[in-house]
Amino acid sequence: MSKKIFLLLVFAFFFVIAIFFYLLVIERDPSNLPSQLIEKKVPIFNSKLLFNSEEFISTSEFKNNITVVNFFATWCAPCRDEHKYIIELSKDSSIKIIGINYKDNPNKAIVWLKELKNPYFKVITDPKGKIAIDWGVYGIPETFLVNSKGIIKYKHVGPINKIIYRKFIKKISMLKKNEKI
Amino acid sequence: MKKFNFLHYIITSSIFLIFALNIFHFNTFAVEPDEFLIDKKQESRARDISKKIRCLICQNQSIDDSEAQIAKDLRSIIRVKILEGKKDDEIYKFLTDRYGDFVLLSPPIKKSTYALWFLPFIFSVMGLITIFRHNYKSQKKK
Repeated sequence: MSKKIFLLLVFAFFFVIAIFFYLLVIERDPSNLPSQLIEKKVPIFNSKLLFNSEEFISTSEFKNNITVVNFFATWCAPCRDEHKYIIELSKDSSIKIIGINYKDNPNKAIVWLKELKNPYFKVITDPKGKIAIDWGVYGIPETFLVNSKGIIKYKHVGPINKIIYRKFIKKISMLKKNEKI
Repeated sequence: MKKFNFLHYIITSSIFLIFALNIFHFNTFAVEPDEFLIDKKQESRARDISKKIRCLICQNQSIDDSEAQIAKDLRSIIRVKILEGKKDDEIYKFLTDRYGDFVLLSPPIKKSTYALWFLPFIFSVMGLITIFRHNYKSQKKK
């Protein structure tokens, strides 16, 4: 009887060890953190717009349209790399793209957007990075997908590349399908 | 035999070194003087909270140790919250609402982490029981 229990314990122990080594060996990206904000409402924030310094009030936005929120800055090199994909996304007129200019010099940002084209429906300034903290951002570029009810559905940390771009297109078409029903 | 002594010497001295370095470990922190709060009690509260918050870029550092920009931002937001009169729990909640439990350096005890917290105790108790039973049996044989 006790031998059986002992064997069971040994088995359980090795099972745990096996799980440990499995987690150690499989390829996973430690910088890929789960987002706390998925399936939650967008944070409430107010700020100035980049181009005409009008007030942006989040509560009157994020309705009726699927919105892509992209945190960027001119000093961020990967933001330059992903810009063409954001321009690509902006070609779909049914989605709104909101840019949040993170800790940046507004004049530089205006020049940068003139040079690379401006895909954004609105560009909001976040000079002190406060809005970013409300969105759980820890390293730009970060891009969020928000449905037409203002619920955050997807988040990507890091620059958008070809693969991620396709992922976004897939998610957007899925959202569109869901919202029609 | 001589070879063994040499090896022995290296092992003991390196163990000693590890402990010595730990004892004389200088607490290097990244908080800059302009971030300090005037009230010392509030400042020490801010430091205590910062030590328990993970820097999301360096991941195994607390924001108190890290010089990453996000760490600095979080440190200053903790201080702002303290000045606003928020309690520690409210500040932790503010951070975990945005960055998840991952932002806490030690995971909270809740249903999904019971295994993480209690399995080591269970295993050590099981180990002790096995050793005692083994000893008991072998003594009986004598």
